[in-house]
Amino acid sequence: MIKEFINYISDPIRSFPIVTILFILQMKYYRTFGTKKFYFWLMIIGIPLVFLAATDPNFLLILTWPDNVPISLLILSLGFFTWLSFHKAAVNDARIEAGEPPVEGTPEMREKVWCWPNLVYTELFMSIAATVFLIGWAIIFKAPLEEPANPTWAPNPAKAPWYFLGLQEMLVYFDPWMAGVVLPGIIVVGLLAIPYIDTNPKGNGYYTIKERPMAMGLFLFGFLVLWIFLIIIGVFMRGPNWTFYGPFEYWDFHKVEAAFNINLSEFFWVKGLNMPMPKNILLREIVGIVLTIGYLILPGTLFLRMKQGKEMLSKIGNIRYYLLVFLVLTMGTLPIKMVLRWLFSLKYIIAMPEFEFNL
Amino acid sequence: MTKKHEPGMAYDMKKLNKVFAFLSVLLLVTVGWVFLDDYLRPWKKVQIEAQSIKRAKLQTKIDAANKKIDSKKLAKLEEELSEQKQNLSQKNKQIEIAQEKITQIKGKLKAENIVNGVLNADVGEMQFKYETAHDKHQVNADDLFKKMRKLKVEFVASRDRLKQYQGEEKAAKKNLLNLSFEVNKSKAEITKLVGSRDLLVAAKEGAKTLDNPIWLLRNAPIIDYLDPTLKISQIVVHKVKDDRYFVQVPKVDRCITCHSFINQTGYEDQANPFKTHPKLDLMVGMDSPHPMKEMGCTSCHGGEGHRVNDFNAAAHTPNDKKQEAEWVKKYHWHAPHKIPQPMYRLKDTEASCIKCHQGVEFIPEGKIVNEGYRNIEKFGCYSCHKIKGFEHRRKRAPSLKKITAKINKEFFKNWVWSPKAFNKHSKMPSYFNQDNNKKPEFMKKNMAEVNAMADYIWSISKNYKSKYKYSRGNANKGKELLGEVGCTACHGIEGLEEQSKKIGAYAGPYLTGMGSKIKNPDWLVTWLMEPNHFSPDTIMPSFRLTKREANNITAYLLSLKNEKFERLKFEPMDKKERDDILLTYLQTFDTHASAKAELAKMSDVERTLELGRRSVGKYGCYGCHAITGLEKATGLGTNLSEEGSKPVTQFSFGHVKIDHDRRAWIFNHLKNPRQWDIGVDKSFKDLLIMPNFDMSEKEAESITTVLLGMVSDQIPLEGQKRLNEYETVVATGMKVANKFNCIGCHQIDGEFGDILKYYEDEDINAGPPRLVGEGHRVQADWFYHFLNNVTEIRPWLTVRMPSFNLSSDERNKIVAMFQAESKMNTFEEKSEKISWLRGEKRGAIALWKSYDCASCHTQGFNNDEPSAPNLANARDRLRESWIRKWLRNPGAILPGTTMPNFWEDGEATDDDIFGGDVDRQINALTKYVLEIAQKKKQKK
Repeated sequence: MIKEFINYISDPIRSFPIVTILFILQMKYYRTFGTKKFYFWLMIIGIPLVFLAATDPNFLLILTWPDNVPISLLILSLGFFTWLSFHKAAVNDARIEAGEPPVEGTPEMREKVWCWPNLVYTELFMSIAATVFLIGWAIIFKAPLEEPANPTWAPNPAKAPWYFLGLQEMLVYFDPWMAGVVLPGIIVVGLLAIPYIDTNPKGNGYYTIKERPMAMGLFLFGFLVLWIFLIIIGVFMRGPNWTFYGPFEYWDFHKVEAAFNINLSEFFWVKGLNMPMPKNILLREIVGIVLTIGYLILPGTLFLRMKQGKEMLSKIGNIRYYLLVFLVLTMGTLPIKMVLRWLFSLKYIIAMPEFEFNL
Repeated sequence: MTKKHEPGMAYDMKKLNKVFAFLSVLLLVTVGWVFLDDYLRPWKKVQIEAQSIKRAKLQTKIDAANKKIDSKKLAKLEEELSEQKQNLSQKNKQIEIAQEKITQIKGKLKAENIVNGVLNADVGEMQFKYETAHDKHQVNADDLFKKMRKLKVEFVASRDRLKQYQGEEKAAKKNLLNLSFEVNKSKAEITKLVGSRDLLVAAKEGAKTLDNPIWLLRNAPIIDYLDPTLKISQIVVHKVKDDRYFVQVPKVDRCITCHSFINQTGYEDQANPFKTHPKLDLMVGMDSPHPMKEMGCTSCHGGEGHRVNDFNAAAHTPNDKKQEAEWVKKYHWHAPHKIPQPMYRLKDTEASCIKCHQGVEFIPEGKIVNEGYRNIEKFGCYSCHKIKGFEHRRKRAPSLKKITAKINKEFFKNWVWSPKAFNKHSKMPSYFNQDNNKKPEFMKKNMAEVNAMADYIWSISKNYKSKYKYSRGNANKGKELLGEVGCTACHGIEGLEEQSKKIGAYAGPYLTGMGSKIKNPDWLVTWLMEPNHFSPDTIMPSFRLTKREANNITAYLLSLKNEKFERLKFEPMDKKERDDILLTYLQTFDTHASAKAELAKMSDVERTLELGRRSVGKYGCYGCHAITGLEKATGLGTNLSEEGSKPVTQFSFGHVKIDHDRRAWIFNHLKNPRQWDIGVDKSFKDLLIMPNFDMSEKEAESITTVLLGMVSDQIPLEGQKRLNEYETVVATGMKVANKFNCIGCHQIDGEFGDILKYYEDEDINAGPPRLVGEGHRVQADWFYHFLNNVTEIRPWLTVRMPSFNLSSDERNKIVAMFQAESKMNTFEEKSEKISWLRGEKRGAIALWKSYDCASCHTQGFNNDEPSAPNLANARDRLRESWIRKWLRNPGAILPGTTMPNFWEDGEATDDDIFGGDVDRQINALTKYVLEIAQKKKQKK
C-alpha cells in the first residue's frame, strides 16, 4: 500500500512540484535545515527507511545494478555536502546578525600556511586514497559490459551516461534540437557567464544565504531541482521505452503509458476557434510566436518597473541585466514546459517541423 | 584550529608522515589484491582437478601394466644384469682404453671439421672470384684458376681424412659396445618388459601439479606470463564466423579450457567438464567428419565460447528442470542475459546441423532433426510458413477443386468445425472452439464463417463423374487387402490399429469413419483403381487393383462409420452474424455507413459467398488445399527461415507463465498456438488464427529443434556442407522419393522403410524389398522402365509396389539417385555372348543342380511356388558385377535374406566342382544365370 503510494507520488507530475516545494521550504527554513540536529534526525529516520525500501526486490534490483551503485553514492555525498554548506551558511548568517565576522573571516582562519607540505602532501594522500578506492571498487564490481553492439537489437531503455540523464529527461518535454543542442549550450555558456554577471562581492570566501538569497535560490533551484532531481528520475525511474516506473515497480517491458500530445497551434485553431489550420506557417504558429516573444520581453521590462528591478539595473548595468533575465527565463522554460505537458498534454508552443524549429 | 602548529604549518608533519605510511601500505596491499584477483580464475581450479583425474587414470593404467609384468622374469633379468655388470667391471682397463681412443678420435674429427669448413668457404669464394674474372676477361683469371684448383684439391683431401676419422670412430664405438654387449642386451630386455609402464609413470610424473616445484614456478603469480601450464586453451574456427554485427569474426572457442579431455578417449566415465565427447567418431574426434580443430564447440552447441569467466558466462543451458535445479545449487546458474544464441539444450543440439547441411531432405545421423523434418512434412507447416529448404514441397492436403463429388456439405462443415471429432488422428488442425475463440459470441461468428466457406467451396467446385461403379464387395477380404498390399505405409487404418500404430504412417490420412464421409461409393472405387482420374497430381498411387479387389476394399472402408459424427447437425447460417463479419471486412478502409450501403447492394447469396471467399483467405485454407482461383496465393504464416535467430523480445509471450526463451515459446506455440490470446482483449478479426494441431510432446519437441536450427548465421562457404556430384544427385532424387513417400515402404541403405517395422518381428523378407546398393544391383534402363510399368518381381509377396504417376523427370531423378548413392556408372555393359571356358559350363550346370537354385527360383523350371525372383529377368534387371557380389555373400548385402550363402568363409559348399575354387564357381554360376536369362528372353 505504502509502496504503491510512493510509486504514485514518484511520477514527475507529482514529485516535481513536491520537490520544488521542498526546495522552497529548505531555502526558507535553511537555519533549521542547517542544524546538526536536523541532519542527525534525518539520518536516523532516513537510513532505516532506505534499508527497508531495499527489501523490495524491484528497488533492490535498481539500486544494485552495477551502473547505479556509484550514482547512489554520489547522491548520498551530494546530500551531505548540500547540508554542510547550508550548515555553514546558517552558522555564518547567525554570526553576521550578531555583528561578528563569518567563520571564514576570523583572524585564525586568515592565517597563511605553506603550500608544501600543507596542500601538496595532503593532495597526494587524497590521490592515493582515491586510487585505492577505485581499485577496490573495480575488483568488487565488475565492469557492467554488455553483449557486442547489435544495430538491430538496441538495448531498452537506452540510457545516456548518468550525468547526462537530466538532459535526456529534458527530451521528454523538448524537441531534440532544443534539449540536445540549444539548452545544453546555454547551460554551459550561462555557467561560464556567472562570474561576469555576478559582480556582487558578498559571499566571497564564506558561506552565506541571507546576504545572497536570490543568487543562491536561483542557482540551487537550477542545480538541485532541474538537474540533480531529473538525473535521479532518469537513473532510477525510467525503464524500458523511457516509461516512468515507480521505485517499487517491476520494469514490465510492455507497460503502456497514454501520451498523445497536441501543439499549441492546434489548440488554438482547431480546438479553440474550430477552424482549419492556416496554410501560412507563421500565421499558423502566431500564438506561440507572440507568447514566446512576450515571455522573453515582458518579465524583464515589468521587473524594471518595480523598485528591486530598478535597483538591480543600476547596480549591474544594462547588458548584465538583460543577460541575467535571458538566462533565468531560459531556465524557467523547463518547469513551464513540464507543467504545460502534464496539465494540457502540450507538445510544442511553436511547432515548425518544416524548419526543425520546435519550442 | 584548537592546536597550534609551527608557523606556516596547518598540520603536524609527523602525523602527516604516518598518514602517508599508512596510505602507502594500503596501496601496496591493494596492488597485491589486483594481482591476486587477476590470478585466481575459476578455470585454473578445473585444470588442476583435470590433472589429478589424469593422474588417477594413469595410476590405474600403471597398475594394469604392473600386473602384466612377469615379476619372476624381471627379477631374473635384473639378477643377470647385476652379474654382468660385475663382469664388466673386471674389464675396466679395456673400457678405459677404448673410451680414451674415442675421445682422441673425436678431437681429431673436430679439428678436421674446422679445416674442412674453412676450406669449403675458401673454395666457394675463390670459385666466385675466378668465374667473375674469367667472365670479364681479367688478366688474373688464370692465376685465380690455379688457386681455386689448389684449394679444391686440399678440400677433397680434407674430406677424405674426415671420412677416415669417422670410420675410426665407428669402429672404436663398436668395440666399446662389444665390451658391454651383454649388459646392453639385458637392459633392452628389461625395457621391453617394463617400458610401457615406465612411460606411463613418466606421464603421471608430468601430470603433477601442486607437489611439483617446477609446475609451481611456471604457474606462480606474475611470472606465469612466461610459460604457464595453466592457461586458457582455445580453438580459432575460421569455417564458422561469429556475427559481431559490423564484422564477421572467426569463432574463438575456449571451452576446452575446462573440458580438458573432450577429444580424448578414456574419460567416458567422468562427469562434466572432464567427460570425453560421447560421439567421438562423429564429432570432435580427429578422424571424425567434424574435427574439433576445424569446427570448434559453439558452432554446434551455441553459447559464448570465448567466455571463461565462470560457468554462467558461457551461457550454459540445462537440459531439463532437474539439471537446472542442480546447476542453480552448484554454479548459481541463471538464465543468460542478452545472449543472442545461448547454448542449446543438449537434446536440441542437432538443431545446429541445419545451418551447414542445406539442400537435403534428411541429414545423416540427425535423428531428432530428421524426425522434425518428417513431422514438418506430416503437419505441412511449410504450407502456411515459408521455411528455407521446404519450398519444393507439395500441397499437404487433398484438393478441394472437385470436393462435391467426394463428400456432402454437412460433413464438410462438421469436419471443418472439429476435425478431431471425426478422426482423432486427423492432420487437419482445429481452428475453432479454441482457447481464444470459444466464447459464445465468437463461436456464433465462427459458425457463420464455416457455413459461408462451405457454400463458397461448393459454388466453385467442379463436377466430377466417377469412372468405375461400385458393385458391392466382401468387406473382410477388403480389410485383409488393406493390411497386405501396402496401404499402411501411408495410411493408418481403423481395424488395423496395431499395424497402424507400429508403422506410424503420415503421408496419407488415417482411414476411419469412411462410411460416414464418402458420399458416393463409385467415387471411392474409382479413387482406388485410378487415383489420377480424380486428382491428376495426387501422390496416391494405383495398386493395380482388380475391380473385385477395389470393390472389396471399398466395402470395408464404407463399413467404417462414425455414427456420432453423422448425427451432428451444423447450425444453419446466422445471417446477422454473417452481415456483421462482412461489415467489419468492408469497413477496413471505409466508413461504417458506406460499408453498410455496400452490403445492402449485395444479395443474400452474394453475401454468403463473399464471406466464404474472405474466410477461406482469412484462415489460409489454400495453403494446404488446392482451391480454384487461389493457386498462387502465398501462405499466411510468418517466414520461419530465421526463426532460430529471432530476438526473444520479438516473441509475444502474452500472459502465459513460461520461461522467456525462444525454445519455450516455440514449443508452447506448437502445443497450443492460441494461448497467447488468453487474457488479452481482442476483437474477433484480430484473434490469432494459427490452428491447433494437437501435437504430441515428442512431435512438438522435434519440430522445435528444427526451428531452433533455422538461424540467420552466415556460414562461410568452406564451413557449409557442400554436396559433391554424387550427393547432389542423391539429394535431388531424395526430394522425389520423399514426395511420393517411397521411404514409407523401402528401406534405403539401412534408413527409413516405416512399414518394415511391421514385418520386422515376423519375416522381414515378407515386407517390401530393402534397397541396399540398389544403384549397383539394377540396370538403369530397366529401372527407369520399371518405375513406369511396374511388373511383378517377387510373386510371393502380398505387399505390392504401386504404380505412381511419375513424370519422366521424376523417374530419372530416382534412378540417378540410386546410381549416385552406389557411385555407379549409369550403364554397365552386358556381354552379348556368353563365352565358356572348357568344362566350365558343365561345372556350372553341376553347381546349379548341387545348390538346387531352381528350388526357390522356380519360375521357368518347375511348377513350385516361387520364393525367389524370376531369373528370366536377371540379365535385363541385374548387373553382372552385382550378381557376383551377391552370390559371394548375400547376407552382407541384405542381412536376414533367404538366399543362402554357398561360399561361407571362402569355402565352397560343394568342393567337388572346380576343386572347390570359389572364384571359379561364382564366375561359372553367374554366367549360367545370365545365359538362362538370355535364352528365356529369346524364347519369348
